[in-house]
Amino acid sequence: MPFPTLRTWFEKKPSVEPPRKDRSHLRVGIAKVLNVWSTHQFWVGFLKELGISSENIVFSSDTSEEQGREFGKGRGTVDCCYPVKCISGHYGELVFGQKRNINILLSPMIHSLPSILHGHVVDTVTCTRVMAGPESIKAGFLKESDIFAENKILYASPFVSLGDRHMVTQQLFTSLKNIFDLDMEETARAVKAGFDALDNFTAKARQQSRDILTWCAENGKPCILVLARPYHMDPGIGHEIEGELQAHGYPILWLQYLPGDDDLVNWLFEEDVKTGRIKSPFDISDVWTSSYSSNTNEIMWGAKFATRCPWITCVVRLSSYECGMDQPTYTPAQKIVEATGTLYFKFGDLDSTKPGGGIKIRVETIVHYLSKYSAEIIQRKLNCLSPDCPLVGARRSDPAVST
Amino acid sequence: MAQLTTIGQLPLNQPPVHHYTAYRPRPFKREEREKVTILYGGLTWKHERLVQGAMHNMKYNAEPLPNIARDDLDAGKELIDVGACCPTIFTTGSLVNFLKKEVAASSKEEVANKYVFLTAGACGPCRFGQYHESYSMALDGLGLRDFRMFLLAQDELDQGPSGGGGLEINLPLSLGLIWGILFGDLLTDLEYMTRPYEVNPGQTDKVLQASVEYLYGVFRERPDHGAKYGTLAWHLLTNYFTRALREVRKMWDAIEVDRVRVKAKVKITGEFWLQTHEGERNYNIKRWLEQEDAEVVAPPVAVWLHYLLHPTIRKLEHRHSTSKHPRIEEALLHALERIYRWTYNRFRNALAGLPNELPDQEELRELAEPFYHFELRGGEGHMLIGKALHAYHHKKAHMICELSPYSCMPNTMSIGSMANVIGKYPDLLYAPIEVKGDSEVHALSRCQMILTEAKRRAQDQFDEVLKKTGLSAEKIRKYEERHPEVRRATYKVPHRGYSGTAANYVIHLAEDRGLARA
Repeated sequence: MPFPTLRTWFEKKPSVEPPRKDRSHLRVGIAKVLNVWSTHQFWVGFLKELGISSENIVFSSDTSEEQGREFGKGRGTVDCCYPVKCISGHYGELVFGQKRNINILLSPMIHSLPSILHGHVVDTVTCTRVMAGPESIKAGFLKESDIFAENKILYASPFVSLGDRHMVTQQLFTSLKNIFDLDMEETARAVKAGFDALDNFTAKARQQSRDILTWCAENGKPCILVLARPYHMDPGIGHEIEGELQAHGYPILWLQYLPGDDDLVNWLFEEDVKTGRIKSPFDISDVWTSSYSSNTNEIMWGAKFATRCPWITCVVRLSSYECGMDQPTYTPAQKIVEATGTLYFKFGDLDSTKPGGGIKIRVETIVHYLSKYSAEIIQRKLNCLSPDCPLVGARRSDPAVST
Repeated sequence: MAQLTTIGQLPLNQPPVHHYTAYRPRPFKREEREKVTILYGGLTWKHERLVQGAMHNMKYNAEPLPNIARDDLDAGKELIDVGACCPTIFTTGSLVNFLKKEVAASSKEEVANKYVFLTAGACGPCRFGQYHESYSMALDGLGLRDFRMFLLAQDELDQGPSGGGGLEINLPLSLGLIWGILFGDLLTDLEYMTRPYEVNPGQTDKVLQASVEYLYGVFRERPDHGAKYGTLAWHLLTNYFTRALREVRKMWDAIEVDRVRVKAKVKITGEFWLQTHEGERNYNIKRWLEQEDAEVVAPPVAVWLHYLLHPTIRKLEHRHSTSKHPRIEEALLHALERIYRWTYNRFRNALAGLPNELPDQEELRELAEPFYHFELRGGEGHMLIGKALHAYHHKKAHMICELSPYSCMPNTMSIGSMANVIGKYPDLLYAPIEVKGDSEVHALSRCQMILTEAKRRAQDQFDEVLKKTGLSAEKIRKYEERHPEVRRATYKVPHRGYSGTAANYVIHLAEDRGLARA
C-alpha cells in the first residue's frame, strides 16, 4: 500500500479521469504454453483493459515438431520435460515467425493458480519447472547475444501468483510498469478485468461440463474424463488422444472444468462427508496429504470425482515424459479411479512425436471396454449414491443405460 | 499405503466399494518411546552421528540408516512408480533394504513395532515434498502397512507432540538437531580444507573421527534448560559449545599440512541431497576430486537453513498469513536471521575462523537476479546461480561442480539458466553433472574435462604469485622450518584474492609475514 506523502495529501484531485494512455500501437506476443492454457483469458482481459486491441494480442501456434525445428533449433539449454522444452519453439515463432512483428513478448512465470480447491488444500502453487520454465528458455535467446533486443522486442516475464488475487496487482505493476508504462490504478483495473474474464470463461466451461453430464444422465450414456495437466489440451503435447475417443461418440470432460456446483458435489461426496472421511466435497486429504501443487491437487480431486460420478465410466490419464509432478501420483490416481470399477487407461511418457499407431490401437481397446462395461459401471455407481441425483433426478432404478 | 474404507449402501449381490485412502501412520505413543528406535538419514555420517547425540540426549533411541549404497538404487526402482528422481529412488531403496534385513532377522510385526522412520517434509512445488508417497508405496510393497513414518516440517522448531506423543518436536530437540547439523558443517569444512594438504596420509580422517565422537558426547550430555525460552537463551549464549569446539581445534592442531601443493579448488553445488552426500549415491565425487588433485569446497547444510530463514525468501510463504502484526513478525525474522549468522560465526571463531563464512543471502539474490527470479522456489532456487557467481566474483574456487539428480525438476531449470550465465561469464568453469546412480564413468569423465582446465589455472596462479613475490619453494620450506606453526592445519591463511590455497598461502607468507622482504 503506498504511504501518503504531503504531495498526495495536498495534491489537487483531478476533476475528470485522466485520458487513457494510447497503447493501440503495441503488439503483444504470448507464448501459448504451460499454465497459459488455463489462464489465457486473464491475460487477454488484462491486456485489453490496458488498451491493447484483440488483433494485437498474438498467441503462438499449437506446439508442433515443425515449430521446434524451424524456430527453436539451437535455442535449447537443458533436457527436461517436453511441455517446458518446447517453449523455445514458441518464443522463436513469436520472434522470427510473425508477419507483423510483435513489440513485447509476454511469458509469465505463474507461481500459483486459481483453483476450485482453494481453501481446501494446503496450497495451489505450480510445478517448479513450469514456474521457472521462462527463465531457462530465455537463456537460449540471450546466451550468445540478446535476440529479443536485436529484433526490437521487449521480453516481459512477470512473476505472478494468480492463485493469490490480493498480490497480483502489485506483482504485475512492479514487473510490467516499465514495459507498458503503467500506473498502479490502471494496473488494478486491468487485473480486475483479467480475473473477470477468466472467471466468466471458467464458469461457462464448467456449465458446459455439467450440461454434458446432464445429457449423459438423461440418456443413460457414458462419458470420459481426461485426467491431465492444462497444457495437455495443446494438440502437440496431448496428441489429441481425447479427440480420437470423441470421434467414437463419447463425450469428453476435462478435469479443469468439472462442475463444482454444491448440489452435484454434495450428492457425489455425501457419504464421505457424513462418515467424516473428508470435511467437504473439495477436501482431498483422504487421498493426498501433500496438497501443495495446484494441478496435482486437481488431478487427485478429478480422480475422486470420476470414481463417484456414475456417468464417467472411463478415465484417460495423460502424462508427459519425465513429469516429476505426475510421477508420485500414478498409483494413487489409478487406485482412486478403479475403486468403483471405473475404467482407467494411462498414456504415459508423452513426448514430441505422436505415437499415432499406438494411440489408434489403444483407443480401439478403450472403446471396446467402454461399450462392454459402461452400463454395468453406471448402475454400480448409482447404487452407491442417494437416489436424489441433482442432474435430472436419475434414480438407481432408472432403467436403460445404453452405450 | 492404501488402507481401505467402505462406504455406500449396496444391494447384497454387489461387492462393497473400498475407496483408496492415503497412508496414515498409527500413533507412536509416549509409553513406547523406550522400546522404539527412530530411524533417520539423508546427511553425512558426521551430521548423523551428531544428530544422534542430540536425540540420545532427549532420551530417544535413534539410529541413522546405513550409508546409501548402489544396491539401494535397484531396491528403490523395484517398489515405486517409474520416473522418480534418483534421490527418491535411493532414499526409498535405503529404507527398503534396511527393513528387509530386519524382517529377515525377526518378523514384520516386530520390525513395525520396533522402528519408526523420521523424514523431512517440505512444502512447495518440488517432488521433495512428496517423497513420503514413495516411501509409503514401498512399505505397501513390502507388506509393512503398520510401519510408522513421520514427517518433520523444516520450518517449525516447536511442532509439539505429534502422532501419539512418542515423538515431541519441541525447542530443545530442534535446537539440538540444528546445532548438530551446524557442527557437522564446521567439521566438514575443516576436513576438506585439510585432507588434500595433510603430510601424513590418513591423519585427517583419524582426527575427524575422534572429533565427531567427542562432539557426539558433548551433544549427548547437553544440559537441560527447560522447554522454551530458557533453552533458547542457553543455546545462544552458553560457552558449552564453543568450549567443545576449542577442544576440537586442539585435536586438529596436531595435523601437519603442506599448503604449497597446488590444487584446483572445486566448489560443489547442486541439489541439496546429492551435494551433501558423501558416498556411492554421488559416485563418491568429493573423494574422487581429491584423488584428482583438487581441494573440495563442500556445501554446508547451514546455507540451506539460512536460505529457508531469509526474510526476503520467506515473504511469499506468508501470503496467506492472517497475522495482525506482520511488520513485527518480519522484524523478528530479520533479528532471527542475524542471530543465526552470529551464532554460526561464533562457532567458526572457536575453530580459529577456519570454516567458511556463510554467504550473504541478499548478495546471492542480487547476483542471481538477472538470470533466475529469487521467488522461484523448489530445490535451491536461485542459490545455484547465486553461489556459482559468488564463488566466481570473490575468487573462492577455480570451478563449480553442480550435482544434479536425473530428472530433478528445479535443478534442470537452473542449469538451463546457467547457459545465460556462461554466455555472460565465459571464463566461469562450470561442470553440471547429472547423477543417475548408474553412469559413473560418464559423469566423472565429464567433470575431469573441466577439472583439467581448473588445474591449469591453479598452477598458473601459483606461478604468477611466485614470480610476483620473488619466492621459491626452497625459500618457503626454510621459512616453514623456522616457523612450524604455519604448517599446522589450524593455521589460518587469509584469502588474498586468489582462488587457490597455495597461491593465497605464498602471498600471505610474502606480504603479511614479511618473507618477501627477508
